[in-house]
Amino acid sequence: MKIKKVYIENFKSFKKLELDLDGGINILVGNNEAGKSTILEAIHLALTGLLNGKYLKNDLTEYLFNAKCIQGYLANPETLPYVLTEIFFEDAKYPLFEGNLNYEKKDKESGISFKIAFDEKYQNEYNELLKDKDNIKTLPIEYYEIYWSSFARDSITSRSIPIKSAFIDSSSNRFQNGSDVYLSRIIRENLDENDLVKISQAHRKMRDVFMEDDSIQIINEKVKTHSTLTAKELALSVELVSKNAWESSLMTYFDDIPFHYIGKGEQCIIKTDLALSHKKSKESNLLLIEEPENHLSHTKLNALINKIKTGNEDKQIIISTHSSFVANKLGLEHLIFLHDKQTTRLNKLSSDTQKFFEKIAGYDTLRLILCKKAILVEGDSDELVVQKAYMLQNSGKLPIEDEIDVISVGVAFKRFLEIAEKINKEVVVVTDNDGDINAVNKKYENYIGTNEKTNIKICFDETVDTDTLMIDGKPYNNNTLEPKILKANSLDTLNTIFGTSYATESDLKKYMKNNKTECALKIFDTEEKMAFPDYILEAIK
Amino acid sequence: MPKINKLIIAAAGAGKTTYLINEALKQDKEVLITTYTEANEGEIKKKFLEINGFIPKNVTIQTWFSMLLQHGVKPYQDYLTDKRINGMLLVNEQSGLKFRGKFPVYYKEEEVDEHYFSKEYKIYSDKLSKFIFKCNEKSKDAVFDRLSRIYDYIFIDEVQDLAGYDLELIKLLFQTDSNIVLVGDPRQTTYNTHWEKKNKQYQDGKIKEFIQGQCKKISVEIDEISLNCSYRNNEFICQFSSRLFPSYTVPTSNQNDEVEHKGIFFIKEKDVDVYLTKYQPLQLRVDRRKQVNPSFSVMNFGESKGLGFDRVLIYPTKKILDFILKNKNLDGTSRAKFYVAITRARYSVGIVYNFKDSDNVENIEKWIYQEGTI
Repeated sequence: MKIKKVYIENFKSFKKLELDLDGGINILVGNNEAGKSTILEAIHLALTGLLNGKYLKNDLTEYLFNAKCIQGYLANPETLPYVLTEIFFEDAKYPLFEGNLNYEKKDKESGISFKIAFDEKYQNEYNELLKDKDNIKTLPIEYYEIYWSSFARDSITSRSIPIKSAFIDSSSNRFQNGSDVYLSRIIRENLDENDLVKISQAHRKMRDVFMEDDSIQIINEKVKTHSTLTAKELALSVELVSKNAWESSLMTYFDDIPFHYIGKGEQCIIKTDLALSHKKSKESNLLLIEEPENHLSHTKLNALINKIKTGNEDKQIIISTHSSFVANKLGLEHLIFLHDKQTTRLNKLSSDTQKFFEKIAGYDTLRLILCKKAILVEGDSDELVVQKAYMLQNSGKLPIEDEIDVISVGVAFKRFLEIAEKINKEVVVVTDNDGDINAVNKKYENYIGTNEKTNIKICFDETVDTDTLMIDGKPYNNNTLEPKILKANSLDTLNTIFGTSYATESDLKKYMKNNKTECALKIFDTEEKMAFPDYILEAIK
Repeated sequence: MPKINKLIIAAAGAGKTTYLINEALKQDKEVLITTYTEANEGEIKKKFLEINGFIPKNVTIQTWFSMLLQHGVKPYQDYLTDKRINGMLLVNEQSGLKFRGKFPVYYKEEEVDEHYFSKEYKIYSDKLSKFIFKCNEKSKDAVFDRLSRIYDYIFIDEVQDLAGYDLELIKLLFQTDSNIVLVGDPRQTTYNTHWEKKNKQYQDGKIKEFIQGQCKKISVEIDEISLNCSYRNNEFICQFSSRLFPSYTVPTSNQNDEVEHKGIFFIKEKDVDVYLTKYQPLQLRVDRRKQVNPSFSVMNFGESKGLGFDRVLIYPTKKILDFILKNKNLDGTSRAKFYVAITRARYSVGIVYNFKDSDNVENIEKWIYQEGTI
């Protein structure tokens, strides 16, 4: 059983959001405040009734509502707003949850509706309030109720929902004794009913033994005589009141260390592992993972991602991340890009490019996706020079301050361009001509001339320079960044900037070739007046 | 396996609940067992525990009303109303009265809120199946399509209690992919809770006639044999009760216990106390207004449905006596209730009547108290 769609209305930052989900892995990316966590929260809430590890029922607040929708309400208190999350199950698998209680009123949809809405039984009280409209300054949340039902309008509990959701995040939602709410939930769901009965019986037995212990009896005798204020009998005991008392009083240990004392990263891995190994056949499992890169080292992250990827075809996973590594590894086709409360998918990249980024997962694909505009360069020295040029043109502002990201992509220009094309991102490529204009034109033929795309610009020097300099028996390449900078400036200027005193351009060229990054850093830091090749100036326009 | 549509006419005491439970236990797919009354729902659950120890996960037992509300009304109610429905209101007369005059006026079905719902927006029990029928029509069969994908088998017990639009729902069920088995005894139609003009000619348990008349194009098997034997009533009682329904085949009796005092007996009023002391029969009366001996257990006819006792003592109404003695017509719920009363007994049925020597009714013995025999 999989979720095919989520619909969110008025919940936190979302006025309205419709999100189609894949049966396997879904990667949510977006800037901070884009609402990634909110989506995970909304899904988990609708499937479990839990928000931040607590039952929302007892914690309803106005802050769950979209701010704009509250404003709208205060302007017009006649219409009371509601918060709604709907989870759509894949078609025809669970007719019991089928009905038209969904926002589109479609007949053949099955799923869950989680609605926080005004309880009509307070209509009279509310009408009283309305008599003095100007006095309504907040939402009367005390008249609100949670309506949790299937699309067939049958009220449900988290137990009756066929999808069990496990939320793995960095926050610590714990019972008073420190055992983790999510963890015990995950463990509980791994156990069958017989196991649960056995645990609670063992727990009960433990209490009996505790109570029969001589020292406890003596203490209770003492306590009894202490209480003079009341006629009722005082006694010490173990909590057994709630149905799942064992959950709050038992602690999970790993190698003799209580769960909450082990590192956050390890906790994250263990929780994921447990949730993935969930074996109940009738219920399926949904894994919600929030930014796993936050507390994992690169190796651990790699291990976790491999765990998620292998052998869990039947598990649905929604993962939010800022890490290009996570996104590349799990497959860019699973990416859901979130911005301005809208979603874009990246699922039609060529399989070649998909595989490329999966194999070489170090590329900053997410930077391209998340920035407003990107300048793609080959290496570190190009990056520094382009940044410097930009700063000089824009009164000292770094490009990133204008949300323009300069990204070194090595030889993967065309892979990145494919992504840029898909998401219609404004991108400039800054490349060397390497002495062969035709080759460059051929390489980028899909983006220049008649094939030009409005969002993609290719910048390179149209002139092929030559000289007779040989280095290590090979002719010197005059058509890379360094000689082009030299061409735009004088030997003296560069000697000043680098703090060198080469007599000939050939010597400086040799120096620059052997100290690329060093030179670029000097250029980046210099206060000297200097010029930049035209193709670079074109790129930062 | 081909789809099953089946109506089984069962005699009283044929063990039809046991039959349904055993059928349900054979299935590993989802099974729904539904019945009209809560009493019978309870009885089915109890029997399940007796036979199987527990109710398997794939078996759901629900009253007809509760099933209709959950699966019929709510999933697609939007086609008629998008207001929150606050459950059902059980009514015992035609609902949706606009004003009561010499000729009462009722809300039309177009006035959805008033026709189907009470002020508290509870759906009237007599309109439940009509609402569903209309909903299903408007949603192009979404209601029954959904239900049939949830349950592979739908068993309806005491099907004779269904009438009006209920019968249309049964017809729709027959047309789904689910296997439908209806079990009931039309002779025991003691309820008449439907005031709907729809299918008026098929009220009083005429489910068989409905199927023959209205479901001609659907293949439905009508089985009047399998459950036409009584494990409760002995030969005498089977014969006597059949006098009420001459068009039905007399059930065979499988009750052959060797006891004394078997058969049907007239008891004089003055002998009632002695008879009660001697045979400990359950007293059965038409309603609470009839005086009985308060020291012995007593039930109304209707209440005793579904139960079995060794012996009963019936306090007949005038109409019942006219039927017994003069073969005067007895029909509707009076006939059904008397039939129920008779068929409660395993061994003997006593009928309180101050018989004269000249009274001679076939198969009924005159019980005469002989002093000193107790």
